[in-house]
Amino acid sequence: MSSSFIRQLRAEHQKGRRRHLLLIPFIFLLFQILWAFWQLNYADQEELGSGYLLLFHHLPMMNTLLLPMMTAVTASRLCDMEIKGDTLKLLYTIQEQTSLYDCKYLTGLSYLAAFTIGQGLLILGLGMSYHFGEPLKWPMLLEHLAVTFSVSAALLAIQQTLSLLSASQILPLAAGLVGCFLGLFSLFFPAPIARLFIWGYYAAFPAAAMDWERDTRIVHYYEVSFPAAGFLLFLAAAIAIYLLCRTITARKEV
Amino acid sequence: MMLLRCIRSENKKLRHSLIFPACIVIPAIPAVMGTFNYMQNTEILTQQWYSLWTQHTLFYASFFYAPLIALYCSYLWRLEHRNNNWNVFMTAPVSIPCLYFGKLAVIFRVTLITQLWVGILYVLCGKSVGLPGFCPADICFWLLRGTLAAAAIGALQLFLSMVIRSFSMPIGIALIGSVLGMMISNKGLGLYWPYSLMLMGMNSNKTKDALSGNSLPFILSTLVFFLIFYLTAIRILRTRDVHT
Repeated sequence: MSSSFIRQLRAEHQKGRRRHLLLIPFIFLLFQILWAFWQLNYADQEELGSGYLLLFHHLPMMNTLLLPMMTAVTASRLCDMEIKGDTLKLLYTIQEQTSLYDCKYLTGLSYLAAFTIGQGLLILGLGMSYHFGEPLKWPMLLEHLAVTFSVSAALLAIQQTLSLLSASQILPLAAGLVGCFLGLFSLFFPAPIARLFIWGYYAAFPAAAMDWERDTRIVHYYEVSFPAAGFLLFLAAAIAIYLLCRTITARKEV
Repeated sequence: MMLLRCIRSENKKLRHSLIFPACIVIPAIPAVMGTFNYMQNTEILTQQWYSLWTQHTLFYASFFYAPLIALYCSYLWRLEHRNNNWNVFMTAPVSIPCLYFGKLAVIFRVTLITQLWVGILYVLCGKSVGLPGFCPADICFWLLRGTLAAAAIGALQLFLSMVIRSFSMPIGIALIGSVLGMMISNKGLGLYWPYSLMLMGMNSNKTKDALSGNSLPFILSTLVFFLIFYLTAIRILRTRDVHT
């Protein structure tokens, strides 16, 4: 990484001062903490026995509902300062368009990383405070966090492009809302159709699944093997999305 | 007279904006996908128009109605937050309640259009899947009740977008508030949380009226929340200095 790029990255970090950007992942995480306590307080002893599996099954759904909006808000906060201040013209005379995109993207990723680490700590903390019957399987936790981070990273590339291309922020935020909708609905669709919607990928690589018996109303959580090949394919697609979005932004006439 | 002028000028601000495309496209997604879901599960969903209603409102009223209104509110305040428009806004020879109510009236109008569109989509989808007759009168009433709940959320979101200078943060707050709203409503405390009012008003994901025909507490709650946020916003506008 060249010293010039590091300087640009530092400048991007400085632009975020007093904009309370860390508040975005914090608020979303706080909500998930509240939700998790609410969920576990009403769980019976048997469910608490498989508490980690319960979390690994429900958290991806909660992520599908919330994280498309969180990435939209993060990208909008990072890019809107340039749109409002009309600074892109000025910046592009001293900085490569791709470099600005990369710096903003890396800054956005740091907030997504903060959220992902926070969610990991939340799972660990809940395990300790509710004394889940089973021991935590670390590979499952790492897989869950890797999926959460990589899907958010792919969405961030899309949202950042929309935020930089849109004079008003209606389009990127509406896209975030639409993403939440599509992601949530895709959970109820057959897998081949669900795979068409990137926003639903939070729940596409679950570490745990659930059986629910209608008559007895008994819920049983069980471990499923991680679809590593599918996830690698997704990572390749995410990189392609990032490159495509970066190219589109770089070609934009200011 | 002054109020009418304010409303007219706020309307002008929406010209050529993406508000109306958003108000058309976003409700179309739950309508299409809800209908698809309904068609996939007709053996369980047997109550025809009522079952279709549960699928249309399942996510729309529970999670996305409030963020949609938040989007409208953020756009309306964004214009004032930019450049030095706060100075122009506050020095206009118009009373503050008029200025603020002008914005609220525009939000209600756009929300009314959104709800009408939701109703039209519901009827169109119902007919396209071959449901007999016309949609029941109760559902029209639930749709209207949901529109009424928008008064409280409109006042709340307009207040949030006024005090938070970010375009996106109030929309994120609305989404979180709505998800919390569903949890609170499930505990039977929905009347005490503004974001629950919309899903209660629209009788989201239910075939029987959740308010059991007694809408008075719901109307009272909507009115109280509306007054709280409206009066707080007016007070802040009157007493606090603006930041441009």
